[in-house]
Amino acid sequence: MKGKAIRGFMIFLFAVLLILPAKFASAETPIIIGSPLSTAYLYGWDAERAINLAVAEINASGGVNVGGEKRPFKVEVIDTRDLEPGVPVSEALLAVEKLILDKKADFIIGGPVRSEAALAAMPLLSKYKKVSILTTGVLTPKYHALVAKEYDKYKYCFRIHGEAKNLVGEMFANFTDLKEKYGFNNLFIIAQDVSHARGAAKVMKAVAEKKGWNVTGVEIYPTGATDFSMGLLKAKKTQSEIINIWMDMPESAILLKQWYEMKIPALPFGSTLAAAEQPGFWEATEGKGEYTLCNVVNAGNAPSEATPWTMKFYDAYTKMWGVEPEGLGTSSSYMAVYVLRDAIERAGSLDPDKVVAELEKTDIMGVYGRLRFDPKSHQVIPATDPQKGAVGSILQWQDGKRVVVYPKSIATGSIQLPPWMKK
Amino acid sequence: MKEDFEKRRKERLDRGIKVRSDGLYALMSWRELCYLVLPRLVLIVGMLILPLVMPSMYWQRVISNVCIYALLALSFDFLAHFVGLVSLGGAFFIGIGGYIAAILNTSFGLPPLLTIPLATIIGASFCTLLLLPCLPLRGVYFAIITLMYPLLLARVIEALDILGGTDGILGVESFLNRWMEQYVIIMMVLLFLFGVRRLVIKDIGLVFRAVKDNDQAVRASGISITYYKTIAVFIASAMGCLGGAYMVHLYMWAGLSMFALDFSILPIAATVIGGSGTLVGPVLGAFILVPISELLRAFGTLRIVFYALILLAFIIFRSEGILVYSQRKYQQFEKWVKV
Amino acid sequence: MEILIYGTINSVSLALFSLGFAMVYGVSRLPNFAHGSLYVLSGFITWTLLNSLGLNYAVSIILAMIATGIIGALIYQFVLIRVRGMEISEIMASYAIGLAILEGLRWGGFKGMTYTLPSFIEGSTEIAGIPVDYQRLLVVGIGAAVVAFLWLFTHYTRIGLALRGMAQDERAAMMLGIDSDLMALAAMGFGSMLAALAAILLLPLGNIVVEAGYNVLILAIAVCIVGGLGSWMGAVIAAFLIGFAQILTVVYLGAHYQMVVALLAIILTLILKPSGLFGRQKELEERV
Repeated sequence: MKGKAIRGFMIFLFAVLLILPAKFASAETPIIIGSPLSTAYLYGWDAERAINLAVAEINASGGVNVGGEKRPFKVEVIDTRDLEPGVPVSEALLAVEKLILDKKADFIIGGPVRSEAALAAMPLLSKYKKVSILTTGVLTPKYHALVAKEYDKYKYCFRIHGEAKNLVGEMFANFTDLKEKYGFNNLFIIAQDVSHARGAAKVMKAVAEKKGWNVTGVEIYPTGATDFSMGLLKAKKTQSEIINIWMDMPESAILLKQWYEMKIPALPFGSTLAAAEQPGFWEATEGKGEYTLCNVVNAGNAPSEATPWTMKFYDAYTKMWGVEPEGLGTSSSYMAVYVLRDAIERAGSLDPDKVVAELEKTDIMGVYGRLRFDPKSHQVIPATDPQKGAVGSILQWQDGKRVVVYPKSIATGSIQLPPWMKK
Repeated sequence: MKEDFEKRRKERLDRGIKVRSDGLYALMSWRELCYLVLPRLVLIVGMLILPLVMPSMYWQRVISNVCIYALLALSFDFLAHFVGLVSLGGAFFIGIGGYIAAILNTSFGLPPLLTIPLATIIGASFCTLLLLPCLPLRGVYFAIITLMYPLLLARVIEALDILGGTDGILGVESFLNRWMEQYVIIMMVLLFLFGVRRLVIKDIGLVFRAVKDNDQAVRASGISITYYKTIAVFIASAMGCLGGAYMVHLYMWAGLSMFALDFSILPIAATVIGGSGTLVGPVLGAFILVPISELLRAFGTLRIVFYALILLAFIIFRSEGILVYSQRKYQQFEKWVKV
Repeated sequence: MEILIYGTINSVSLALFSLGFAMVYGVSRLPNFAHGSLYVLSGFITWTLLNSLGLNYAVSIILAMIATGIIGALIYQFVLIRVRGMEISEIMASYAIGLAILEGLRWGGFKGMTYTLPSFIEGSTEIAGIPVDYQRLLVVGIGAAVVAFLWLFTHYTRIGLALRGMAQDERAAMMLGIDSDLMALAAMGFGSMLAALAAILLLPLGNIVVEAGYNVLILAIAVCIVGGLGSWMGAVIAAFLIGFAQILTVVYLGAHYQMVVALLAIILTLILKPSGLFGRQKELEERV
């Protein structure tokens, strides 16, 4: 008797549970944003947090207006592990497919983070006709070159953060400044043995030589190397004044600590120098990371007043996550969600082709300047003035703080030399 | 009470039906025939209808992945338990097979149907050649060299920037038809599975097993051990290269991460879990591990921890593997008997 | 000159983290693939003790070393002892544990590059015009002390002699009443403590990240193979060989090829003299 009652109750409960979600689902189907990111790494969780912040803000203000119907965003993050050295790119591709086929993602924002994975994912995205906005990692110029080359096939792919060519240009603007100010002429390049770093090193060398710099050496360190003494000593011996570092592996902290202790009279100027982009860098190096310069690709990843939105975003992020924006992809991931919302609202539907057409017409004043995409290559248009285009940011660690020193339009400080370099 | 407990032992007897189905007597009745055929039938039919019953394309892709890992696991088991060579480098075979297929496709323009068999054969020869120096050695050296080779090759390709360097080779053709995509690999797995099972029963299989058990005896019989080891490595690497070539066409891309450690570890885990020594076990293990791995994806990094712990549990507690365990149950029954 | 100084530093670092692996393999023929993860684990334990619990640095170090030693012994007692003798299972079991520990750390929030240990002594000095920092000099000093200590330990104390006996010939040692399992347990414990010591000395030079675990494991295996699996002196000498080879490669060829050197060394050793420099396996038993 009692058993029957319990069983009846269970069946009733079960039925209710089955019907209920279906009821809720039909009320406001969320627009699903799929994010394939390497969440255990800086260039993965920076995007994850920013996307979640943007989605929370948009949903709090009512959601996205799709042709008259207000729908919320929903984020599905899958850890692709693609920044881990031993993991095959097929894992990342499988993650992207899972997002599209299983989680029914409508749009892809964020990754995959590794260049090769992103390049390999392009045919997948065109096969399933999913609009994707890359926001972190992937710095290779090949990405948007491919979009321009085969527009009809790859038109669903967008990238909203600066790429390697921008970075090189920005660095050289600074180098030229330093040359004028202090008479620097010797450049030493240290790069990690990965595709983007090596490619960047090659480009830096070529451009430097064209501009009359003396490239005193190029050292490529394999991932996992723990001793940089020889490279640093070579730099010192050849009287290098600037050391250009392209290293996102954790051992870069060893390099910078060694630099400080050996008192090498050269300014460490890095790009994708992951260790130095985090606010925790100061404590992690016990202050020995001072004077390190690094390029954080887009404003908003370091405090500045590029646009009225910049510090609003900066403070909101700090409030939500308890840490200041770090890494390369934070401000870009945040803006990607807003840009997407803007495009969907103007298109009035979720149809990929319509959204693509509207994305190409994007023109918003975002966190790091005026955001527009190049209509052929779907790469965000860069500039040094936030009113004209997307601005980058180069920061230097001064006295425990990250001070933006470039571009001049938003700089809050200027480059300082370490005391043992003062002439 | 306690005495009773101590004076008992577990006795295992073959089931009646197994005894009756051993040898020629199996043909005498339908029941015995069914008993023998059932497991194999379930396997073949199951694998063949799998692509049809999968709920979505994503899961079909998972099946393809499973089959690639199954091929690797098969080659690992074959080498480890029938020839005595522990190969920790499944990634090595996949990488070489994959790169060769990609080059044949992009530089020479051959269609997938041609590149896969060619890559298998050329790749197998290449792998065997590279492994030749350590074949005369015994013990743990083969394991270490196969572990190091993928890492070394990855570094070399990265350092010399050949074969697409770190970007890899893009734009490899895919298969013409989705169903063909699925069934090619399933047929290959079945073919190799039953083929290798046949192989180890033949004379050459006997020599292989002798090399594993007592190589001095083989030497004393005047048979060249290195020659037979070479043949075994060729067969095993052919399977791996096939998997690699297939994967390259599946994902339309070949790159450095094909030498990833994942490809070396998962076949070993699949073998341990599925049952080493039987060639079907590793295939079964792959079928279990890969979908579980996918299902656990929601947990992020914790997935790997679970994975490692499951592997550990199997190694310690059920090191015979699922298949051996179930084979035992199928063929024998146990009961406690008083001594 | 700088090649000499930094070559020595590099070699001593290599020796420090290979000794643990060599010890375990030498005594009980157990390849401990969890070595790298114990290295990283001890680093994180020290960090937690230092930062979250606010203990004194010296106290944290000692506690972390003891904790790692105990963890190593526990791994042996509960996992490896059951698979002893079956080579494949040993490798896989220890690798699985290593993997579980490392990925567990990563899941537990120890990701990113902001974890580090403070150096013992700050500042640097110049030797023959080459700037060297004190921490690295300390590494060399303590490394040499450890090697010397190990030599004395294995030659003059009861446990050390028992370990040596086990390493030389297991059966003869058992006949003399030395308990094989206990010795293997002790070896794992000591090996783990050596890993912890290496971590404490070397981690202040950079930061603590999970990936270091995999790198350390590969290097430790490389050194032990070249030196001969099972020989402690061999490991030290091989560490010097590989260490100097790496530095020379960096100076004359390019930093690019550092890792390739290590891997090439293994391949060469295996082709030319498989038992390594001081390995105990006899040539006749090896070739078929």
